[in-house]
Amino acid sequence: MIELQEVTLRYGNREILKRVSLTVEDNKIKAVVGPSGVGKSTILKLILGLIKPNSGKILIDGVDITPLKESQLYPIRRKMGIVFQGNALFDSLTVSENMGFFLRENLKLSEKEIERRVEEQIAFASLQGYETARPEKLSGGMKKRVAIGRAMIFNPAMILFDEPTAGLDPVSSKKILGLISSLRHKNNLGAVIVTHIIDDVFQVADSVAVLYKGEIIFDGETESLHDSTHPFIRSIVSEKILEQ
Amino acid sequence: MSQSAIDKFSSKVDLSMKEFFLNMQEFFLFSIRAFITIPKIKRYWRDFLDQAKIAGTDSLPIVLVSSVSIGALLAVEVGNLLEDFGAKTMLGRSTALSVIRELGPLIMGLMLSARYGSRNGAELGAMKISEQIDALRAFGTDPIAKLVMPRLIAALIVFIPLTAIADFAGLYSAALLAEHYHKIDPGIFWNAVFPRLVLKDFVVGFLKAPVFAIIITLVSCFNGFIAQGGTAGVGRSTIKGIVVSSGLILVANFYVSKLVLENM
Repeated sequence: MIELQEVTLRYGNREILKRVSLTVEDNKIKAVVGPSGVGKSTILKLILGLIKPNSGKILIDGVDITPLKESQLYPIRRKMGIVFQGNALFDSLTVSENMGFFLRENLKLSEKEIERRVEEQIAFASLQGYETARPEKLSGGMKKRVAIGRAMIFNPAMILFDEPTAGLDPVSSKKILGLISSLRHKNNLGAVIVTHIIDDVFQVADSVAVLYKGEIIFDGETESLHDSTHPFIRSIVSEKILEQ
Repeated sequence: MSQSAIDKFSSKVDLSMKEFFLNMQEFFLFSIRAFITIPKIKRYWRDFLDQAKIAGTDSLPIVLVSSVSIGALLAVEVGNLLEDFGAKTMLGRSTALSVIRELGPLIMGLMLSARYGSRNGAELGAMKISEQIDALRAFGTDPIAKLVMPRLIAALIVFIPLTAIADFAGLYSAALLAEHYHKIDPGIFWNAVFPRLVLKDFVVGFLKAPVFAIIITLVSCFNGFIAQGGTAGVGRSTIKGIVVSSGLILVANFYVSKLVLENM
């Protein structure tokens, strides 16, 4: 379980997050929505301990990660996988090498075991036949699926998605959302999705938090978004895509 | 100048000073972390070999071209000057001192700053912008151990033989020019070189190689790591890395020479 308790983050004089509290339960999909540049991706980086908040606590399975050193964070980070907005694939490596990269780097597994795990993820991401292709040869949707496969490679309990369907065509978006749903239903994983596309939220999320001007203005069941009287939420529900 | 303009100017200065000192602090911590991770070299030996090839073998042509040019130029210019004093036979000695103590390592340092430093800055900057460095951290790999430390070790190791090669190439081209342009017998040239060189001359020259390796690698990698602002940001950080490391090489060149020559 992930918990953010009263987290505040400032960049210089600018307050990005103001006393944000958020809970993501195991085996549930939580969406964080909000306009571009509001600090949604920052929340994912805080959860992974890639950046430290100015105040507040971030608990991963009950452990506050804010005072931990980088080396102490590595085992905690492996409980989660992340799919970056731009995928962050290594250009010089093939699909298989990208997926197996962190296994080779961080675990002492036999090459046979690494290959088995990579094959499993290639099948999950429906990328058979593209094992030896480099990312530059793949479409946006396929790169995203490689990134999802890579995020799954340590068998994490939770996957973090940063704008998983941004910039994808409708068919690819549908495939990606299908993969995210199957994580929850077939693999029993939890997920945090930050997005500005409301349709994605209604398709896959169990609950949603709305981030607006650095504060959480809504946190509840996805369907109850329709009942909110907050003018910003009413506008995003009717307009479907947030742009600012 | 109005009071508000002065206030605006002073707050700008204040902000840039603050940014400068924060950057210095970050650079200091970054450098310490790069050295602390050296014991992990066994784990990253493949990365080390890749970087040794890039810094060493691949840099050889540019190091050879520049040192041959400098050696030849020195032979022509210094030879002409010595001829005026009737001391042309001293050409070997003066060229050897200039190349081994100063110009060999300096030219090699500047060329490697441009070649190896720019590659480091651009590659790591692009990785930073595309979140690959964040990805390394997110999946449990220390990016400094994986990306910076092997580059540092590779530079520390290969810059020394590169200096030797640059020295030899510079001296050899000077010897050829001395023979064909100034009509100095090669025996006279080389006799003025080796028997007169002392340990101090080599220490001055070869001590610069690891110093330059540290400067080039850490400055260029650090600038890559702090790149921001898209592709233009990668360009800015790469240029900054080259400019700063080249400037530091010139300063370090002077101080290493001064320190060794005064104390040996």
